Amino acid sequence: MTRALVIAVKEVRSYLTDRADLAFSLLLPVAIFALMYGAFSGQTLFNGTAHIVNDDPNGTYSRELIDRLAARDELEVDLLTRGEAEAKLERSDLLLVTCIPEDFSSQLAVGWPTEITFMQRGNGGQEGQIVASMVRAEADRLSQEVQAERQVRSALAEKAIGDDQIETAVHCLLERERKLPLVEVTETLIGADTSLVHQSLPGIIAMFVLFSITMSSRTIVEERRKGTLERLLTTRLTVSEMFMGKFLAGTTRGFVQTFILLTLAYAVFRLFTPLSFGMVLFVALVFAAAASTLGLIIASVSRTDDQASWISVFFTMATVMLGGTFFEIPEGTVLHTIGKASINTYSISAFQTLTDPGAILADVSLEIAVLAAVAVVGFFVSRVLFRAVTGGR
Amino acid sequence: MSDTFVAAENLHKAFNDHKAVNGVSFFIEQGEVFGLLGPNGAGKTTTIRMLSTILEPDRGDVTIGGHSVRHNPDAVREIIGVCPQELALYPDLSALDNLLFFGRMAGLNGREAKAQAMANLEKMGLEDRARGRVDKFSGGMKRRINLAIALMGNPLLLFLDEPTVGIDPQSRNMIYDTIEALRDGGMTILYTTHYMEEADRLCSRVAIMDGGKIVALDTPYGLKSMIGTPEQVTLEDVFLKLTGRGLRD
Repeated sequence: MTRALVIAVKEVRSYLTDRADLAFSLLLPVAIFALMYGAFSGQTLFNGTAHIVNDDPNGTYSRELIDRLAARDELEVDLLTRGEAEAKLERSDLLLVTCIPEDFSSQLAVGWPTEITFMQRGNGGQEGQIVASMVRAEADRLSQEVQAERQVRSALAEKAIGDDQIETAVHCLLERERKLPLVEVTETLIGADTSLVHQSLPGIIAMFVLFSITMSSRTIVEERRKGTLERLLTTRLTVSEMFMGKFLAGTTRGFVQTFILLTLAYAVFRLFTPLSFGMVLFVALVFAAAASTLGLIIASVSRTDDQASWISVFFTMATVMLGGTFFEIPEGTVLHTIGKASINTYSISAFQTLTDPGAILADVSLEIAVLAAVAVVGFFVSRVLFRAVTGGR
Repeated sequence: MSDTFVAAENLHKAFNDHKAVNGVSFFIEQGEVFGLLGPNGAGKTTTIRMLSTILEPDRGDVTIGGHSVRHNPDAVREIIGVCPQELALYPDLSALDNLLFFGRMAGLNGREAKAQAMANLEKMGLEDRARGRVDKFSGGMKRRINLAIALMGNPLLLFLDEPTVGIDPQSRNMIYDTIEALRDGGMTILYTTHYMEEADRLCSRVAIMDGGKIVALDTPYGLKSMIGTPEQVTLEDVFLKLTGRGLRD
């Protein structure tokens, strides 16, 4: 067993020091994860910029309007001079600019009409139209609030109530209305939420573990090519010890990739509880072990790198398709029956079950048993199929 | 030299209809450097593979140090070291790591492996390059590492399969000196080469194989005596006389 561990440590060390292998194995999960994050957790709402010319820079209400626009999550404010705005519009750098007139605050304060102008090229563009509607909405709200405050002051003018008291009370009411409006508007995302991560992550994990089959399948061919295979078999190392070492190394490689992916999913998507995370890692380990022995079977029958790679690719693709990795196979179909021969079927089922709230390992005992059986049987099959040289050990 | 350390008796090995080895018998005394020569396809590699337990003979047996390769190959593997013709190294590992790894495979613990690895690297004049990656080494350095690995575990029988192919005279001489030192230290060596002057210099006895059989077996002097005055003929003359001048590849 010591010699098997020495082989496993050597292989894992080589894997971790080979930049190409490392980039493929470790950065790829991170890249895939970044894509998932972009697709499922990134910005799904409008995000735009309000380009504003403020001709009333010292006005209370013009500043208030700009502050409110800037406070919106989906909007940034870009203040321009009139000259800059005209030049940018002329060059079509911008399609819509909001102009606040110099009498904006003074007119609003006394309840007289004032006018915000949108300077635009054509229809102002899609973003411009959305920004314009937001500016319009904020300006309307500000106008209503100012008018409401003015009317309250007017109504209470005869009472012995101080201006400060009125201002505080009105602002308090308006603030509450802003925080808890009578009509709440919410947005529901259709077709892009984290439940898709829940659906896709098991398939992506399965894919990465299956990649390790290719690496495992080439390990003996590489020993053969380097000439080290025969040399190893003239030492005290037994063939079973060598296979155990390769098996442990393959399992570690597959598990490392999965561990990275799952950890990122845990940290960012909050798909797991600490308990379910531990359970999913356990299933990933058993799955990696099963994949490792399948790689060893391919390694045992392959004589060249090309053979090993092609058999692995073919096997991986068949496993992915039959295992319903990225699409569901309807029950009762022939494909569904054949799919039971794919280890993906069991790993994906286990991963999906364990990400459901309240799931425990016992819920996936069948899946774990099948994967563990594949690992054990696969190990012995690979050992039986192996021949160092034709007609030899 | 009086104890027989290796005894091959009537070895046969066929691949499909091709008889690669066809009734080979020989013995090697303890502490002897025994040469196995022959043109390509003569059956040398198959013979060595049977002796080193990679292939099981179809018929016949070999005892090495009293252990049968057929019945007790594990015991045989404990006392042999193999330096293959190919550079059987891990190019992404350092010289030291290569030796340490094969040392562990030869049954040494970590401390023993390190001590032997450093000693063998020193023997090969590579102690300063112990931490260098093997793929950065010259051909001669790789050959010396290849031999150093075979010595890990202090084997009693060393198989040297063309250990000097494609290297410069300096490295070749160092390997000769090492082999002579090992012989003087009592190690038994089975040596194959295509360089006849090497066999003449290093081997106490030489077997010439052709067509899966041993066609001649004697001391270099005895072999040369077969075709003329030993001082006037070379081992290559004997070789060509016995195996013919026709191409084998």
